[in-house]
Amino acid sequence: MTYNAGTISRSAYALRQREEFGRRCLAVLPIYYPKELLTAFDILTMELWGPPGAPCGDAAGRIQTYVCAVARNAIAFLQSGKAEVVDGVLIPHTCDSLQGLAALLMDFGGWSKKVFVFQHPRGVGRASAKACLEQELRALAGELEEWTGKRLDPERLTWALALHRKIEAYRATLLDQRELCPLNEVELYALLRRGEWLWPEEHLEELRRAVQGLAPVPVQKGIPIMVTGYLPEPSGLLAALTDAGAYIAGDDYAAVGRRVGREANGAPADPWTGLTERYFAVAPCPTRNVVTGNRMQYLESLAKSSGARGVLVHVQKFCEPELFDIPGIRKLFAASGIPVLVVEGELELAISGQTETRLAAFIEMLRTAGRPS
Amino acid sequence: MILRRLQYEMAGHAGLALIRFQDWQKARSRNKGKGKGKPSLFGPPLECLGKLKEMMSLHYLQGRYADGAVPVAWVTSGFPVEILRPLGFHTLYPENHAAMCGALRLVPQLSDSAEQEGYSRDLCSYARTDFGCGLLHTTPVGRLPKPDLLACSNNICQTVLYWYKALAAHYNVPLVLIDTPFVYGEAKPHHVQYVRTQLEELVSVAERVSGRRMNYDELSAIMVRSREGSRLWGECLAKAKAKPAPWTGIDGFFHMGPIVALRGSEECNAYYRMLRDELQDRVNRGIGGILNEKHRLLWDNLPMWFATREISTLLAERGFSFACTSYTNAWAEAAGKISPADPIGSAAHACMHIILNQDLCNRLGILTRLARDYSCDGAVLHSDRSCKPYSVGQIDLKERLTKEMGLKVLLLESDHNDPRSWASEPGANRLSAFMESFA
Repeated sequence: MTYNAGTISRSAYALRQREEFGRRCLAVLPIYYPKELLTAFDILTMELWGPPGAPCGDAAGRIQTYVCAVARNAIAFLQSGKAEVVDGVLIPHTCDSLQGLAALLMDFGGWSKKVFVFQHPRGVGRASAKACLEQELRALAGELEEWTGKRLDPERLTWALALHRKIEAYRATLLDQRELCPLNEVELYALLRRGEWLWPEEHLEELRRAVQGLAPVPVQKGIPIMVTGYLPEPSGLLAALTDAGAYIAGDDYAAVGRRVGREANGAPADPWTGLTERYFAVAPCPTRNVVTGNRMQYLESLAKSSGARGVLVHVQKFCEPELFDIPGIRKLFAASGIPVLVVEGELELAISGQTETRLAAFIEMLRTAGRPS
Repeated sequence: MILRRLQYEMAGHAGLALIRFQDWQKARSRNKGKGKGKPSLFGPPLECLGKLKEMMSLHYLQGRYADGAVPVAWVTSGFPVEILRPLGFHTLYPENHAAMCGALRLVPQLSDSAEQEGYSRDLCSYARTDFGCGLLHTTPVGRLPKPDLLACSNNICQTVLYWYKALAAHYNVPLVLIDTPFVYGEAKPHHVQYVRTQLEELVSVAERVSGRRMNYDELSAIMVRSREGSRLWGECLAKAKAKPAPWTGIDGFFHMGPIVALRGSEECNAYYRMLRDELQDRVNRGIGGILNEKHRLLWDNLPMWFATREISTLLAERGFSFACTSYTNAWAEAAGKISPADPIGSAAHACMHIILNQDLCNRLGILTRLARDYSCDGAVLHSDRSCKPYSVGQIDLKERLTKEMGLKVLLLESDHNDPRSWASEPGANRLSAFMESFA
């Protein structure tokens, strides 16, 4: 059954998934986790990027204000009772803040349901990292078996891997051929981000329709820009870009484009190999210890292939992995003559007037600079 | 190369005379201007302090001539440096160097230049200090040797990984990461194996960079010395269990230089034997780190390097002193984990089981044990803007230490290296109010 995913709330959706299909629901913190494995266990995932806005409870006070809003808002949300619809939480060890959040919840309480952690290795490409990742995935599968009372069916895992490969392929198509997509930024990102909580088969369906709707010739007439950063929040920022006459031609948001797997080879016969390779197939991310040079090369090639005329670096305050790379990104694009604008957010619900003005001025500058003399 | 090596060796030997001469000159000029000041609140300075300064000065002096003479590695404080020693690496600790800049109050200027480059002020102030030194080509130690290898372990934080990635891009040298999965309760066997495999990978990279083969017998001998050094350091710290404590936790911050930077060497161990004996002598004679010790406190997290004197003076005026710190204790905890019979395996174990790579229950256990063993009646938890892994959890820890141990606990927000995050007057007010609560 397909719901009107654009209007139903996440919690209502999770409840209906439970009622109709008996699916458990797991809240998942950013960024990388084995979604295929969860799908194979018939677990609905609901990603928790904050949520944005002011913390919804006093529990945010358990974490200092100089720690990123994702961790503070998440603990407040989980402890406030607003996440009652989920049956547990999975916290990947993405950064110090999320590691601290996991330790707080597991050791000192505030969340009565199950806490899983996923400790993915740093050091992409190393044999030791691959071996550890596979062991970590198997260990998580063991915990999920115990939690759900179900044995992991290897065929079901193979099916889940294939399903998510199709999803990734559609997401890649929409992002790589952005100029052919008639959706505006707010619509496109709402669609892509519904993948954070829709049951994958339903998400695949709406992605397929969106890909079918691609125009034969470019329909995006604005200024193409590239965005790198953490999360496309608030959505007002996307609307401001549209209003200013720009569109995101190259996406390196950790929540969106950076996570899209582009696996060159066919699916491996062994699903565990497939799961491991899936992790290494995504774009370079500063949280996973890629060599800085590799990330810069990737960003440069993304800017080039997308035809971006400017780069927007959209980071979250206190997000160290992203913040450390900013000087390198500035230097990289200064060398190739592509203007860069850095915007810092803190999971606000709306962008400030100042930020909107900066975005408008930046796009106007790109338009002027790009106009043939 | 030969000339460079000669300079390096000369600095290691003749440098000592130069340092002693400079110290003599400084002491002479200090004595000339000496008048009758306020009576000191502290016990007489440790005689070992001169030796400590000599050792650390010599280490940095020799470092000036290291690149081109011997392989140079820049390493993080939690890195199992013992593995690099048999391969002849001169090791430099950017954290230790940054702390020195912090104590000398050089950080605002250094950080400004890093911020102008685009590094956010929200980033770790050690990293900003290090970048600033690189950008301004300045250092209080004269010159830092360029690295041939960057060796980093994220057992203290993920920040060092981002920091060292930036260094690797700048210096265009290999970066070795020892990725240590966080330990909840007991370490998982596949995590231990992962760290062990990475250490084996490290050996081959370090061999390639140094052009030497690993001598495992020498490595075992270094592990023996390292274990002994860690044990001796623990003995030095434990002397503060006496009342009055013969030195303060703040003194301990400065005396940890050798166990961090020279671990595994005989000179490090010789130094701590000397320090231990001097501390025991002070215990025997009833000499305290402060003159009028009334209340003993526990300090959690890194120090505020720029304000150690300010804070210890404020406390000493009212008879308060830090008897122990969780930070200095971390280097004593390793002693029981190092096994010369299995240098790589035990290094993996030691590397994973440090305070910042373990869960909060373990941390609470350490704080509780320290507070009990050192007879503390209060604790100051330094909520350090630049060290999130050490700081997240402190708000809950404060509550538990208060409820479960009856300690009076203060959460004091600042930064370990950047004085711009410390408001002296409001900070002093908070500390004063905290001390008044003991009345």
